[in-house]
Amino acid sequence: MDASIFTNIFGYYTAILPMIIMIIGAMVMPAVYMLTKKRAAVTAVSLVVVVVSAVINLIMLHYIGTMGDYIYLGGTSATFSGLFVYTSFAGLMIMLFQIVAFFAILVSGSSREVTKLHFGAYGALMLIATTGMMFVVAASDLIGIFVGVEAVSISSYALVTLKRADPRAAEAGVKYVIIGGLSTALTIYGISMVYGSLGTIALDGLQVAFVAKGWTWGLVIGIITMIAGYGFKIAAAPFHMWAPDVYEGAATPVSMFLATGSKKMGLAVFFKVFLVMFIGVTAVKVEPVQYLFAIIAAVSMTVGNVVAIAQNNIKRMLAYSSIAQAGYILIAMAVMTPYALTGGLFHMFTHVFMKGGAFLIVGALICAGVGEKISDYNGLARRSPLMAFAMMLFLFSLAGVPPLAGFTSKFVLFSGAIYDGGAVSTWVWLAFIAILNSAISLYYYVRVIKAMYIEKPAKGTEGKLSYPKVFAIAIALCAIAVVVLGIYPNFLLEPCATAAKDLLGVF
Amino acid sequence: MIILDYVWLVPLIPVLCFVIVGFLGNKMGPKMAEGGFLVIAGTAASFVIALLCTLEYVGFIGDGGLYPDAVTNSITWFSVGSYTLTFGYYIDILSCLMMLFASFISLMIFTYSLGYMHDQGPRQRRYFAEVALFLTGMLGLAVSSTLLELFIFWEIMGLCSYLLIGFWSFNHPEGDDKADNAASAAKKAFLVTRLGDVCLMGGLFVLFFTMGGLEYTTVFNATNLANAWAANSGLLTLAALLIFGGVIGKSAQFPLLDWLPDAMAGPTTVSALIHAATMVKAGVYLVARCFPLFVLEPNVMLFVAIIGGVTAFFAATMAMNNMNIKKVLAYSTLSQLGYMFLSLGAGGYMMALSIEVTGGQIIIQNPEYFTIGCLGYAAGCLHMVNHAFFKALLFLCSGSVIHANGTEDMRLMGGLYKQMPKTAITMLIGTLSIAGFPFFAGFFSKDLVLDVVFEAFHETSANVNYLFIFLWFLGIVTAFMTAFYMFRLWFMTFMGEYRGHHCHGESPKSMTVPLMILAIFAFGAGFALLLGWDGVFTFFGNHHTEGEVLQWIVGGWDRPNVGIHWIEELFTNWKTYVTIVLVIVAIALAYLMYVKKSINPGKFSKDGQSWLYRTISNRYYFPEIYNQFSWKLGYDVARGVDFIDKQIIDGTVNGLSNAVCGSGDLMSKAQDGNLHTYASVVLGGIVVLFVAVMLLFFYGGVF
Repeated sequence: MDASIFTNIFGYYTAILPMIIMIIGAMVMPAVYMLTKKRAAVTAVSLVVVVVSAVINLIMLHYIGTMGDYIYLGGTSATFSGLFVYTSFAGLMIMLFQIVAFFAILVSGSSREVTKLHFGAYGALMLIATTGMMFVVAASDLIGIFVGVEAVSISSYALVTLKRADPRAAEAGVKYVIIGGLSTALTIYGISMVYGSLGTIALDGLQVAFVAKGWTWGLVIGIITMIAGYGFKIAAAPFHMWAPDVYEGAATPVSMFLATGSKKMGLAVFFKVFLVMFIGVTAVKVEPVQYLFAIIAAVSMTVGNVVAIAQNNIKRMLAYSSIAQAGYILIAMAVMTPYALTGGLFHMFTHVFMKGGAFLIVGALICAGVGEKISDYNGLARRSPLMAFAMMLFLFSLAGVPPLAGFTSKFVLFSGAIYDGGAVSTWVWLAFIAILNSAISLYYYVRVIKAMYIEKPAKGTEGKLSYPKVFAIAIALCAIAVVVLGIYPNFLLEPCATAAKDLLGVF
Repeated sequence: MIILDYVWLVPLIPVLCFVIVGFLGNKMGPKMAEGGFLVIAGTAASFVIALLCTLEYVGFIGDGGLYPDAVTNSITWFSVGSYTLTFGYYIDILSCLMMLFASFISLMIFTYSLGYMHDQGPRQRRYFAEVALFLTGMLGLAVSSTLLELFIFWEIMGLCSYLLIGFWSFNHPEGDDKADNAASAAKKAFLVTRLGDVCLMGGLFVLFFTMGGLEYTTVFNATNLANAWAANSGLLTLAALLIFGGVIGKSAQFPLLDWLPDAMAGPTTVSALIHAATMVKAGVYLVARCFPLFVLEPNVMLFVAIIGGVTAFFAATMAMNNMNIKKVLAYSTLSQLGYMFLSLGAGGYMMALSIEVTGGQIIIQNPEYFTIGCLGYAAGCLHMVNHAFFKALLFLCSGSVIHANGTEDMRLMGGLYKQMPKTAITMLIGTLSIAGFPFFAGFFSKDLVLDVVFEAFHETSANVNYLFIFLWFLGIVTAFMTAFYMFRLWFMTFMGEYRGHHCHGESPKSMTVPLMILAIFAFGAGFALLLGWDGVFTFFGNHHTEGEVLQWIVGGWDRPNVGIHWIEELFTNWKTYVTIVLVIVAIALAYLMYVKKSINPGKFSKDGQSWLYRTISNRYYFPEIYNQFSWKLGYDVARGVDFIDKQIIDGTVNGLSNAVCGSGDLMSKAQDGNLHTYASVVLGGIVVLFVAVMLLFFYGGVF
């Protein structure tokens, strides 16, 4: 089967076919809930939508891989100015967002944190947010990206506040909206400055214009404000402060969705905009930008890991650890080689499974009546041995213990910073900071493992735990992915390498 | 190649069994022997696939085999920059041999375990899961295509060995003392073999550095080796010695031999499987596998031979006066492993002398020496297989005896022949085989080993030949001692008066049937020589034009009638009759001492008071020496290190970690939940970034 089936049916709209399916799903979701009044029905329908969209995406990705040809919205790059383009990078990232959406929707229907009353809206918002992410990675100019990001942001504000019984959610929602609004303002300001100084908003035209015009004050201001605006999305320091509050306040499936999906979208924007703009430029000095990203990466991982030590709430701890992980991935932005980008993309995938798995366990345990404090996890190994074992896998993977996925992806990522074509790269100090940070992170991960395996459960909580079965399925899938990607990374590493080369135009 | 393409299933099936039994075993009740049936079925499947692969490889089925050329295939595991790590299989006759006997003996032992472990209830689940994982390690090691892959499986086996020795460390049927004993034995085995593994790992690093890869096809390629030898002979020698260090640890050779007797604290089936038939053979396999590397330097091979000969002798003496039935067998395992290394070392030494490495080529200068080398290789491999059969049999028989009597002390046995006739007869076959009684399996391979050592003495120059005659002498004396202590064991157990408290009688069928099957092999495996199969196990420089080795392969010896020729040589040789006479004298001596009682064993040892007796029963004070060494030296060093550690390193680390944790607290206090703060931090961050960029720009000279 190849994509010609789709091009025959959908013609000019083939490039955004996975998104179209999701949008249709989002539109019928409230109706499904109104007719059935059951969360299960909504969950089932949205899962079907996601899976159909994912299958279509895989077929298109395969087609792209064999033909080496892009699919443009409108058939050619001339129509609609090539507003949305389906490339193998876009396909790979769409796959990632679909995986995240799949897990989030799968468990939402059974989680007691998720609203019952507005579940139709919840499902629709989830699908719209995912669609926004998918548009972002397929967009080929700054406005397309901006609109996609806004679609995600606005849906996520609502998703966070939908946990209505909890005052923390309301607080988190307000903070999210205000800081999010600030970042949106900064972004659009930055885009206008960039447009003003370079005269283009097309992503593939940015580098040409930059090389022709060089640095100007307007461009510097535009780039910094754009970095700040999208840095907010990936929760890079110092734009990270909203993240722990929001992740703590939101329902756990939503936290997982934000930490693994929305953050990856921000990183994809960084790759699509700045990496493509600056890589390989020699006529104009770009080292300052590389150093800027290196500083942001180093500060993010250090702040994330150090502050995570002081946390007692496991969701906050995972939030800070996400900040640190974003810092690791930003190494690719500083190093600016296809190999480092491969590592970054691969780490984004492994992060989905290990961080997503950890959040899912937290969500499952909340449904089982376990609190969010780390001390509530005391003696978990006796109360639910499989959960404790899976959590140990995820945490060790996050810390980078072989042979789990986190080790392999960190290995590729860090080695990208250490070696550059056989010689030691100038970014070896960044790799050193990252390795040091991995060591620090082991401290707070092991703290949880110690609580689970060594401490005794508190009085009155010795019984076995029961949690919804779908959580167990989702967690098992994540655990298998973490082990398999650790032992045999090649089947995902190669698509990542292809996507990286594709994005950076190095064939 | 129909089946051979699926040879990766051989190690994969046991690991699936491990996962299923390990994680879902609680669903399998006593009806499925807590997962035992699944593991046995999986092992049988592995054995059948291994057998079919072997048959296809040698050409009995399918469209003509590839024997003796190796079949290899691999997938990319992952690539780091320009270097690609691969994961695959490498099948030649040595791998086939390893796969076959490991899976077959495992099948026998697992079946036997059904009866032996039956009283353990739900704990059988842990047992079966761990032995399945162990089998993965062993079979994976056999089919590995790179040394790195081999090392991974090697470590899996080490882990399982540790876990299984400590099987009873929580809850021993004979009380808490035994449980502590099992725990400390497991620790000892783990630590001592780890010492070897560190050596092996170092060897692999050096080898990787010199050869640029760890794939067998790269490392053992004759041209690559010759070039690397010309560039870096010292490093290659170092790599070989370090790899042999790993072998010493794994196969419990002198001086790291002390862990194996202690490892008998595990269940007897584990001793039979891991510490007699399979895991300890991994070292022999590694030496056989790395032969192309080892033969580059004669002194490496000489070292292997000396270690082997010395271990064979020392371990045999320690078996002479031990009263624990399993420990006697453990010492005899060490001693027999020593034989294998002696054979490989002596043969390898001759082969190393016969070749010359010049100008990127390996030239065979002396075909006669080369022949002796091939013979040594064959003897070592053949003894490895024979030993696997008879030692597994002996251990399982001792397990049967222990199962019936509830003790391992031979002083509490005796006269069991009438009560356990099947065990007694099968054990007698095993004993005759290990003693080297004519026409039993052990006889052929052992005499071949001694023959090779004597040939090495005969052919080599003045100084080294003294060494080889000494090693030969050690070997002969060991043969005598082996026959003596093994018959001492058999007589003390099965003859005379019953001295114990209670015997349950013969063991169940699930235990005796594997014994009988193994007994057939323990008797008949040696006739492989007659069939000319020894040519299969030789090591050979194939495709040699005018004496140049183009490719090292295993098997494919093209001399006619080698088997018959060697058998003829065996029986027209005075040395063979010397050993036969020694064996018969030893059996007679054991009979007189322990059955007729006409010679009092106490007379030689002054009733256990003599200096020699005490030295031997204290294992030459090896444990003592280790303890003293590690205590005296280790403690002082440790105190010094401790001082530095506490005062300097800890101080720094504590300071740093306090700083890290403190700043964590501080920074999380900065996160006060106040929205104004957040917005200010964002704006402040932008300002900082802006200033930073300006500085970078000025520093970088952009403006």
